[in-house]
Amino acid sequence: MKEETLLSINGVSVAFKINGEFYTAIDDVSLELHRDEVLAIVGESGSGKSTLATTVIGLHNMNATKITGEINFQNKEILELSEDEFNDIRGDEMGMIFQDPLAALNPLIRIGDQIKESLDVHSDMTEDQKQARVHELLNQVGIPHPERVAKQFPHQLSGGMRQRIIIAIAIANKPQLIIADEPTTALDVTIQAQILDLLKDIQRENHAGIILITHDLGVVAEVADTVAVMYAGEIVEQAPVATLFNDAKHPYTRSLLRAMPTIDSEDDELYVVEGAVPSIKDMDRNSDLFAPRIPWTKPDVGHPVLKEIAPNHYVRGESWREFKFKDEL
Amino acid sequence: MSEKNETQVQQSVQGKVPEIKDGAVIVETPSTWRTIKREFLKDKVALVSAIILAVVFVTVIIWAFFIPRSAVTNVNIIDQYLTPGTQGHLLGTDEQGRDQVKMLIASARNSLMIAFMISIIGQFFGVIVGLITGYFRGIVDTIIMRVIDFWIVLPFLMIIIVLVSIVPKYNEWTLIWIIGLFAWQGTTRLIRSKVLSEADRDYVRASKTSGSSNFMIMFREILPNLASLIIVDTTLNFAGNIGIETTLSFLGFGLPNGTPSLGTMVSAATDPTVLATKPYVWVPPVIFIIVICVGISFVGQVFRRAADARQRLG
Ligand SMILES: Nc1ncnc2c1ncn2[C@@H]1O[C@H](COP(=O)(O)OP(=O)(O)OP(=O)(O)O)[C@@H](O)[C@H]1O
Ligand SMILES: [Mg+2]
Repeated sequence: MKEETLLSINGVSVAFKINGEFYTAIDDVSLELHRDEVLAIVGESGSGKSTLATTVIGLHNMNATKITGEINFQNKEILELSEDEFNDIRGDEMGMIFQDPLAALNPLIRIGDQIKESLDVHSDMTEDQKQARVHELLNQVGIPHPERVAKQFPHQLSGGMRQRIIIAIAIANKPQLIIADEPTTALDVTIQAQILDLLKDIQRENHAGIILITHDLGVVAEVADTVAVMYAGEIVEQAPVATLFNDAKHPYTRSLLRAMPTIDSEDDELYVVEGAVPSIKDMDRNSDLFAPRIPWTKPDVGHPVLKEIAPNHYVRGESWREFKFKDEL
Repeated sequence: MSEKNETQVQQSVQGKVPEIKDGAVIVETPSTWRTIKREFLKDKVALVSAIILAVVFVTVIIWAFFIPRSAVTNVNIIDQYLTPGTQGHLLGTDEQGRDQVKMLIASARNSLMIAFMISIIGQFFGVIVGLITGYFRGIVDTIIMRVIDFWIVLPFLMIIIVLVSIVPKYNEWTLIWIIGLFAWQGTTRLIRSKVLSEADRDYVRASKTSGSSNFMIMFREILPNLASLIIVDTTLNFAGNIGIETTLSFLGFGLPNGTPSLGTMVSAATDPTVLATKPYVWVPPVIFIIVICVGISFVGQVFRRAADARQRLG
C-alpha cells in the first residue's frame, strides 16, 4: 500500500499503576495506518485493544498510566502534546466510536446538542450553520426525520439509531482518523452490517483512516485491509487481510480462525482455545506468553520477537513453524 | 442491554407501549416534572405536606411584608402576656406585649430566609468543590478531602458560638456566612462521590474525544446529571439549616436583637413560669418549626424517590 501515512505508532508501551506498582498492558507495539485504510485490531478480551485505542486518542488518566514510545499523527508527536493542544485535535482530526452507544451518550442532553458539542469546540459556525450541519449529519448516518430526532433524548432511540448518533458525533468535523472500539458488538446482526456499511461510506467520502477494534473475525473479513492480532498486549501477527485469512501462521491467529463459525464447516462443533488472556499482573514479559495455552507445543525460549516472514506479513517467534492443533497430531 | 430488554424496561416504567416509527422506538420523555408528579400522587402524605408548605411559605412571605418593624421592636409592658383572644390578639402577646401572630410571621420569615440563604451558599460551594475534587482526583482531591474530614469532626456549634461572640459588627449576614462556612462539606462529599463514578462513564470519555475541555465536561456534561441529587440534598439541608439557625437563636447566639427568629420565640420557654403556665407563648413557634421541618423531609423523600426512578431509566 503506497498511500499517505496518517498515523504511525512506534514502540509504544503502556503500563497501569495498580496498588502503587506499574504493570505493562501494551508492550512495544508498532503500527501504521494510511488514508483510506481500515486497520483491524483483533484479540480476545483483555488483550489490550482498547488500551491501545485510548492511548492514541489520549483518554488515559496520566496520574496512573505510564506511556513510552512515539505516536506520530499527521506530523504531530501526540504523546508530547499538552492537554489543550490535544483537545484541538480530538473531535476535529480524530474521532472515536464507542462500543455501548447508550453509555456513550449523555442521558440528559438532547441528541442535537450532543452532536453540536464538537462543532461548538472546533468550528466557528453560527448557530444556524451548526443546526444545519447537525441535520445534515443525521441525514448522512441514515436517521429519518432529523429535525425531530435532534430534539429527542438518547433513551428514546433504538440501539442501532444510537450507534448512528455516536458515529455522527465522531465524524461531525470530518476527522482523518476514526477509531471504532467494537462499534457493532452491542448491536444485532442485521444492524451490524448497516453500521459497517455506513462506516465504509463515510471513509470513502473523507478519505479517512479507520482503526477498527473487534473480536469478530467476520467483521474483519468484511471491512479490513490490514489486520493486527494482539495477545497479552503484544502484536503476535500482522498481515494484509487476505494473507491473514489464507495463510495465518501464529498459533493464536490460527486458533481464532478455527474458532470462527462458518456456514460450510463440516461439523457443528466450535473449536475453543482453552484458557484466557492472563491478567496484566500475571504476565511474565520474558517468556512466550501464548505458550501456556498450547502446552503440547515446544515454546519459544525467552521473549519471542516479531519478524517479517514475507512482505508485510509479521509473525512473533518461531514456535508457529512446528505448531499443529491437537487433532492434527 | 439488548434492545428488547430496554424496551421492556421502558414499558414497565412508563406503563405504555412505545410506538414504533421508522424503526426507532419512540417513548415519551419521562421528564423530571412528570416523575416528581407521579411520586407525589403515590405518596399522599408528601402531597399534603407540599401543599401545606406552599401555603405557609407564601402566606409568611407576603404577610411579613405588611408587618411594620415597630410591631416587633416596640415594647409595651402593660400588654404583657395577654391570653389568646384578648384585645384582638389571636395568639396573645409575649413578655414585651407584642402581638404573637405578627411575631410568629416576622420570625418565620427571618428564619426561613436565613436558612434559605445558608442553603444556597452551602450548595454553591459544596457542588463546585465536589465537582473539582471528584473530577480531577489526585493530589488536589486528597488535600481537600483531608481538610473536610477534619472540618466535619470540629464541634461546629461551639465554633459558631465563639465566632458569633467575637465578631464585632454582627448582623444577620454575618450569621449566614458563619453558618454557611459549615454547611457545604456534606454536600461536597456527596457530590464528589457521584462525580467520581460519573467521570468514569462512557459519555464523559466520549465528550473528551470530542475535544471538550475539562471545564465544559464538568459543567455541561456532568452537572446536569447531578441535578436531581442536588435538589434532594438542597431540600434536606434547608430543613437542617432551619434547625441550626433556630437552635442558635434559642441559645441566644443567633439572630441579633431586633431581628426576631422562631428560635428566639421558643427561648421564652427558658423561663420556668412561662414554660409551665403560659404555653401560648412558646407552643406556636415550636409547632411551626416541627411542621415545616417534617413537611420538608416528606417532600425531600419524594424528590429522592423521583431521582432514583430517573436514575433507573438513566
Ligand atoms: N485503567 C486501567 N487500570 C488498570 N488496568 C487496566 C486499565 N485499563 C485496562 N486495564 C487492563 O489492561 C488489560 C487490557 O485491557 P483492554 O481493556 O485494553 O482489553 P481489550 O482487548 O480492549 O478487552 P475487551 O475485548 O474486553 O474490551 C486488561 O488486563 C485490563 O484489566
Ligand atoms: Mg475493549
